[in-house]
Amino acid sequence: MSSLHSVPTTAAAAPTRSRGGARRKGLRRGVWPVLVLFLPPAFLLFTIFVVLPIGEAAWYSLYDWSGYGAPEVFVGLRNYELLFRNPVFLTALKNNLLIIAVSALVQLPLALWLATLVSHRIPGVVAFRLVFFLPYVLADVAAGLIWRFVYDGDYGLLPALASLVGMTAPYVLADRDLAIYAVLAVVVWKYFGFHMMLFIAGLQAIDREIYEAAEIDGASRLQRFRRITLPLLAPTIRLSVFFSVIGSLQLFDMIMPLTAGGPSNSSQTMVTFLYSFGITRMKIGFGSAVGVVLFCICVTFAFFYRRGVMRHD
Amino acid sequence: MTDAAQPLGTPASRRPARRRGPRRDGLLTLYLYGAMILVACIVLVPLLTTALGGFKTLGELRTNPFGLPQEWIWSNYWDILTTERYWRMLGNSLVISSLTAFLTLAAGSMAAFTFAHLRFFGSGALLNYFLLGLMFPAATAVLPLFIRIRDLGLLDTYLGVVLPQVAFGLGMSILLFRNFFRNVPKDLLDAALVDGCGYVRYFWHITLPLSRPILATVGIVSFVNSWNNYILPLILLNTETKYPWPLGMMIYRGEFSTDWHLVLAFVTLTILPTIIVFFAAQKHIVAGLTAGAVKG
Amino acid sequence: MAEVTLHGVHKSYGELSVIKGVDLHVRDHEFMVFVGPSGCGKSTLLRMIAGLEEITDGELRIGGQVVNDLPPAQRGIAMVFQSYALYPHMTVYENMAFGLQLAKYPRDEIDRRVRNAGRILQIEHLLDRKPKALSGGQRQRVAIGRAIVREPKVFLFDEPLSNLDAALRIATRVEIANLHRDLKATLIYVTHDQVEAMTLADRIVVLNGGVIEQVGAPLELYHHPRNLFVAGFIGSPRMNFVEATVSGTGEAGVTVVLREVGTEITVPCAPGGVRPGDPVTFGIRPEHLAEDGTGAARIGGEVQVVERLGSETFLYVRMANGELLVVKAAGASRARPGDRISVGVLADDGFVFDGDGLALPAGPGRAPRELGTTRHEEMRGRPGPLLS
Repeated sequence: MSSLHSVPTTAAAAPTRSRGGARRKGLRRGVWPVLVLFLPPAFLLFTIFVVLPIGEAAWYSLYDWSGYGAPEVFVGLRNYELLFRNPVFLTALKNNLLIIAVSALVQLPLALWLATLVSHRIPGVVAFRLVFFLPYVLADVAAGLIWRFVYDGDYGLLPALASLVGMTAPYVLADRDLAIYAVLAVVVWKYFGFHMMLFIAGLQAIDREIYEAAEIDGASRLQRFRRITLPLLAPTIRLSVFFSVIGSLQLFDMIMPLTAGGPSNSSQTMVTFLYSFGITRMKIGFGSAVGVVLFCICVTFAFFYRRGVMRHD
Repeated sequence: MTDAAQPLGTPASRRPARRRGPRRDGLLTLYLYGAMILVACIVLVPLLTTALGGFKTLGELRTNPFGLPQEWIWSNYWDILTTERYWRMLGNSLVISSLTAFLTLAAGSMAAFTFAHLRFFGSGALLNYFLLGLMFPAATAVLPLFIRIRDLGLLDTYLGVVLPQVAFGLGMSILLFRNFFRNVPKDLLDAALVDGCGYVRYFWHITLPLSRPILATVGIVSFVNSWNNYILPLILLNTETKYPWPLGMMIYRGEFSTDWHLVLAFVTLTILPTIIVFFAAQKHIVAGLTAGAVKG
Repeated sequence: MAEVTLHGVHKSYGELSVIKGVDLHVRDHEFMVFVGPSGCGKSTLLRMIAGLEEITDGELRIGGQVVNDLPPAQRGIAMVFQSYALYPHMTVYENMAFGLQLAKYPRDEIDRRVRNAGRILQIEHLLDRKPKALSGGQRQRVAIGRAIVREPKVFLFDEPLSNLDAALRIATRVEIANLHRDLKATLIYVTHDQVEAMTLADRIVVLNGGVIEQVGAPLELYHHPRNLFVAGFIGSPRMNFVEATVSGTGEAGVTVVLREVGTEITVPCAPGGVRPGDPVTFGIRPEHLAEDGTGAARIGGEVQVVERLGSETFLYVRMANGELLVVKAAGASRARPGDRISVGVLADDGFVFDGDGLALPAGPGRAPRELGTTRHEEMRGRPGPLLS
């Protein structure tokens, strides 16, 4: 037997009855080194570049500050007051809401409809899925620039298309009333593929036998969609809405090449507003106030949406 | 990708001798393909006309917006390809994105490992602390971030762009990694402990080799996000030679604002790498980007 | 010496206590099986011995040394997991070599041990494969191989057969028994399957609710269960229990009357503390009931269900008290549902459990039982041909 004792054994004088910490340490040897080695990189990065800046934004927002020297001119909540009196900011807020509405009412049904189409087993669907997803992998800036060309009054595709049917299209991006809708079209163009993929994944998770059971129960195609697909897809739909809202609240990249917020600030969003009125003018205090408002909206929404609507998902 | 779901009932091919005749199926097929082709056109026409427009003269762009070029002006493309700025721009993007992806993988997987396998005082609170990052976009903190990067002396450096990008990607990556690690059978860790493997070696020898799918997902998500990022480089870089491609593209567009044919050629060339990589690795990219979203 | 001794071992998660004071001595070279229903704490106890769970209180010794605070790798144990827990990205060879590499064994020593284990388990031809390419039985062997190469003092098996199909389970059971004989190591084996426990063990520990109900050789548990729980757990189909009342005690044993059935039975056991009129439980195994009515007493009833297994037949007989009595009958039994029969009771093999569920001790009238020698005693001193 003793020849088998080759597994190393140590600590022959182990204490008979140690308790609590010492025992934990003995058994779970190597826990502390792991924590000390593995946690700090993420913790420091996250704290320094995400959490502290948010806190600083709240602080800076109470000052009138150009970013040089230390913030000294304390103005209390005046930046917020100015912000909510600023008509452009209100337009930006309204535009963000509009984007959310269009995402939910146009993009989502479109994505769901396409997901059901490309979930049929017919030749070529995989290629179509890829094509539909393609805009999503392009950068917002690239999509914006391409559509800037499409909309262009002199060289663009839209005027050319209009003239083919004997009409003259306005230069939509230069039109105060139309610009934001032109932006919305590009948002849908770029993001419907992503939401479609979410729905495809959701549809694949539904057991096909449920459909067969429903068919045996005599449910028609439409009934099956309304009574089975939609309810079972509800978690995916809620997820899709969540992404739409968070995504539209941070819309910036795409607007810059398209309108840069113009004309006459009619297509500003909160982030473009933050950029044009805070960053380019180096009004750190005012810009930070915009950031804080945006932060509050995002976190409030995320918190209540996850706690409320997505509670069971 | 090939195993399609069937949300509207069994597919035509698996439905022999039923009340629905071939005519009915024919109509369905027609409807399916008609709708898909229509949407595909809306997606592809802007992209294709952009690429073709790059081969035209400015004048032809106006007279012949949709058709093939009467004369293929290769020099539009060639002149861009032979400039240093195009390659430098892509190179900058490659460096920034690779570094971002690598650091996100490293920091995220290590932190997630502790959350998945160790229970320590405050672990739950700390995880929620990281998950807070999922709730708001980088834009909210962009001004203080600018001040901070400036004060750290990282303004106008690659690292100054990379570190915030990594930080803002950590919430998602920690969540994805943790969920994956927790699904690795618990017995494996026990077996390794019996084998005399410590946590660090377990992470290196067992966890990481088993985590290739999730490493790919997180890597793709963070690389693509960084590759396409515009606002952070816009604010944190000032030297044009350090610009990644989205910024470089906007600068080019500013310089040649009236020469749409050149801008189109430039846009085409800058999105070309994305499109090539997308089609080459489509399976992983689609799965990665959607899984990244769903599981987050 | 590779004895394992547990002294007053407790385990609790916060307020929840899962092991409530276990004292146990596992002898050198012994094949010890922990058995019990799910949630009884048997796996937790094994994992505490392995070092995968902390010991809240008490003392654990392996080979005489207190190992409470030692990490698993330094306890001189090896473990085979229910899920096998093979590293999926490593080949069979690498799986077995991993622990030895971590312990910095020389390369040729590792190679020798791995190849030796491969030979013993007949998996030499699989050494370059990954676990994914193996069948369930082969994976099982690799998991055992990984334990063997460590040459541990104590082998720990956590329900190793539960993922195998029935035929393979029996074959592997035999191999594990052989392996234990050849390795001459102490082996602690957890299972919820009492057949596995009966066939493999030198001694069985029956656990329930975090406490040991009884420790003993398989037949000892079968013939002398200490209480209702062990009596019901060991034996298949399980023992019949009928509520009864003591009607008298004497030289011949304790006489009980089955409540609502009326049958009077005298069981040869010492009365202990029970007196006439006390409520007790009468226990009798299906194999000690006779369809043809032979025996010291008879219970009448109607056959409800007949299960024919070919070699034997189980009759489910509805007694007057409404409960079912399971009777083991011959394979050729002609009983049919609806038949009224009178079942004979071999009272000598019956048990009486007092109000606390404890079995009354065997009395003077009870015939001594032949327990036979345990496998452990048989093999002692015989040299193992392998791994020496």
